[in-house]
Amino acid sequence: MTLVSQTTETGGQNTPLKFLKTYPMEIILAALVIFLIFVAPGFASTSNILNVLRTVSMLGIIAFGMTAVIISGEIDLSVGAGAALAGCIVAWFADRFTDVFGDWGAVTVGFGVALLLGFTLGYLTGRFRQWFNVPTFITTLALFAALRGVANLITGGFPMSSFPLGFDFLGGGYLFGIPFPVYIFALTFAGMHFLMKYTSFGREVYAVGGNMEAARLSGIDIWKVKALTLGLTGALTAVSGTLIASQIGAGTGTTATGMELDVIAAVIIGGTSLFGGKGRIWGTLIGVLFLGCISNGMTLMNVSEYWQYVVRGGIILGAVLLNQVLERVR
Amino acid sequence: MSYPQPRSAALQGVQGRLDFRAVTKRYGPTVALSEFTHSFVPGKVHALMGKNGSGKSTLVKLLAGVTEPTSGTISVNGEDRHFTSPHDAFAAGIVTVHQELSLVPELSVGENIFLGRLPHKRRAGFSVVDWAGLHRRAGELLADMGLAIDSRQPVSALSVGQQQVVEIVKAMSFNPSILLLDEPTSALASREVKQLFALIERLRARGVTMIYITHRMSELFEIADTCTVIRDGHYIGAVEMKETTPSAIVGMMFGDAARATRPPRRRLDRTKPVLEVRDLSRSGHFHNVSFDLYPGEILGIAGLLGAGRTELMRAIFGADRIDGGSVTFDGRVMTGASPRDMRKAGLGYTPENRKEVGLVQSLSTADNLCMASLGPISNRGFISRRREQPHVRRQIADLHIKCGDPELPVSSLSGGNQQKVVIGKWLNRQPSVMFFDEPSRGVDVQAKRQIFDIIWQQAADGLASLFVSTELEEVLEVADRILVMHHGAVVAEVDPTKTDLTELYGLCMEGARQ
Repeated sequence: MTLVSQTTETGGQNTPLKFLKTYPMEIILAALVIFLIFVAPGFASTSNILNVLRTVSMLGIIAFGMTAVIISGEIDLSVGAGAALAGCIVAWFADRFTDVFGDWGAVTVGFGVALLLGFTLGYLTGRFRQWFNVPTFITTLALFAALRGVANLITGGFPMSSFPLGFDFLGGGYLFGIPFPVYIFALTFAGMHFLMKYTSFGREVYAVGGNMEAARLSGIDIWKVKALTLGLTGALTAVSGTLIASQIGAGTGTTATGMELDVIAAVIIGGTSLFGGKGRIWGTLIGVLFLGCISNGMTLMNVSEYWQYVVRGGIILGAVLLNQVLERVR
Repeated sequence: MSYPQPRSAALQGVQGRLDFRAVTKRYGPTVALSEFTHSFVPGKVHALMGKNGSGKSTLVKLLAGVTEPTSGTISVNGEDRHFTSPHDAFAAGIVTVHQELSLVPELSVGENIFLGRLPHKRRAGFSVVDWAGLHRRAGELLADMGLAIDSRQPVSALSVGQQQVVEIVKAMSFNPSILLLDEPTSALASREVKQLFALIERLRARGVTMIYITHRMSELFEIADTCTVIRDGHYIGAVEMKETTPSAIVGMMFGDAARATRPPRRRLDRTKPVLEVRDLSRSGHFHNVSFDLYPGEILGIAGLLGAGRTELMRAIFGADRIDGGSVTFDGRVMTGASPRDMRKAGLGYTPENRKEVGLVQSLSTADNLCMASLGPISNRGFISRRREQPHVRRQIADLHIKCGDPELPVSSLSGGNQQKVVIGKWLNRQPSVMFFDEPSRGVDVQAKRQIFDIIWQQAADGLASLFVSTELEEVLEVADRILVMHHGAVVAEVDPTKTDLTELYGLCMEGARQ
């Protein structure tokens, strides 16, 4: 998918300006990183950077799916609760079914169940829109509340932590010196980038989000496209939720609170339009890195948590404004 | 937002005089309007003609205060004016009725007329909307224009023609001396056009200067006093309608551009129809429609707006529900199929409103051209620009799509070229049947010719088409056979070589031969 903003043949502009207009978020991210290297103590240390990448991975895995959902013209507010539930399901299986499936067997089956449930709920959210004309905003808002409830029902309100030995590797371990979740993150990025750019399904997502009726009259199964993007995001949420449970060593209903906002913020910062039809997986990568760097930088600089919320809000608004302004300049 | 009322007519000397002196408008390197100099005489209907991209819209935008000229002056009633906003244009007594209707469907006619400046009255110390006063004044305005429309009705209850008229009443409520009408008839059926023209006549009698933009040549001779032609941003000339002919105006509009003519009609093989429609009904839209369509045939459907032409096509294509009857495609019963099924069977549909539902405006020309054929182009679902290239290039070359870079958004193309992209999107699937719904609406004469050439060319290669157009002369020219629809029923089948415009108009209006 080559987007409008990337095509650079508009003549008559000098190169630096064009560069500035084409890669605004990339430049801002680079500037932020340089700023933090000089100002935030310890930002540039290897361990800190790996730490940022690990945090960013959990967010990013979901955000890539969310990008597709938003491009298709829908939204998913349930990913934070969904991630918590997935972690709880895996923990519950590890707690109850070790006798039946064995240590790792129980975890694997639990993960499979979480994955399937995530996909199914997302898929049905899309079909709900088709069958009953319920906006995904509403369905996923309902799931946002309900899934967290279910997560707490499963665990009885307490963290469940009877994972097999070595399970913490998935979320907290290192492979060749790099945190394991980063590999999943990179794989998801590559997969989603490929899906959106080099498959007819990806093209259909853009078409459906850009103009639903035109896509329908072109013979595209618009509801299937929407349901599948939502299902995909549900499945990715389960992956991320399992990694989080592994990292903190427990399945708990209170984890990943407010994650949906960070995920949506990353997608928006990455330049994806909430009106649908426009956006890139690459942009979301920049978005999650930006969010990760800024919150890590503020923590290192001892900025109070409350101020961090204020700054994050400002960034979301600023990114949207920037995109709108650039849209006009282009 | 409040609008200033123009100064009262008595205070102004010459009413509605409009002079352009060397007005130029540039958009970056592009010159949209170049040294345009002309005086519009007051109290007349001035047609403004020019093909798409000639600078007509720029002229309208300048007068409406939407954009400012790069150089040159516009003067109204002998006074130099500089419009920096639509507000300034209102203040100078210029009101524009834009091509797209700008009424709020859920609100009443009266409220729409006074939108943004509802009359108020004081009740118990509060300023509240004076509904009675509003509808009284709206009613007076409507009666004044000779219209029998209830101002309390919601706009959504009106026909498109009535809505257009309300739009003009709204414009006239500002009491302008100059009224700009940008393609006011593009969505109207001929009866509604008559009503609109009656209103224009009335305004002319009052001395309102009107600038009238249209693509329909026949209207000019009916309603306009003069015709001003621009081409490529340049003023070409102005003629009195009494002293000119359509071909003279076309000559001015196009310079030396040649006019294509219809290829000779061919004898069709009518042994096996590709599409058989039997007793097809959709309640409230059309009923018991039956016809056969043969390979290589162009079947025209004539009828007034609202006769059920578009609804019929959409239902056959599977875009809308069907209540009864059957559709057989290539011998297979396809009743109640989805657009996806119909596409697979080999049917393509170019909808009448290409901007809204024909194209995805945010995507590129290339993306739009491949949109209906992602399956065939891709290799097991995998696709790349390289795989798409031949399909994009072929359509751009075959259909003469002027698009510069196919990677740029399709929204940057002119209307005619956008229409060709919609057609190209379907030709990429090599369909056996195409439905063309108003393919010539809002495109210039040259692009229209090219689109007809494409349809004829494809027919010669065996494509069967349904062709719908509000312009009956087009249906007569393009089609091999014509079905006439009236109030949702097929009332006649005519041979275009054995009928004429008058008879066809009569059939569309009355539903039966006189």
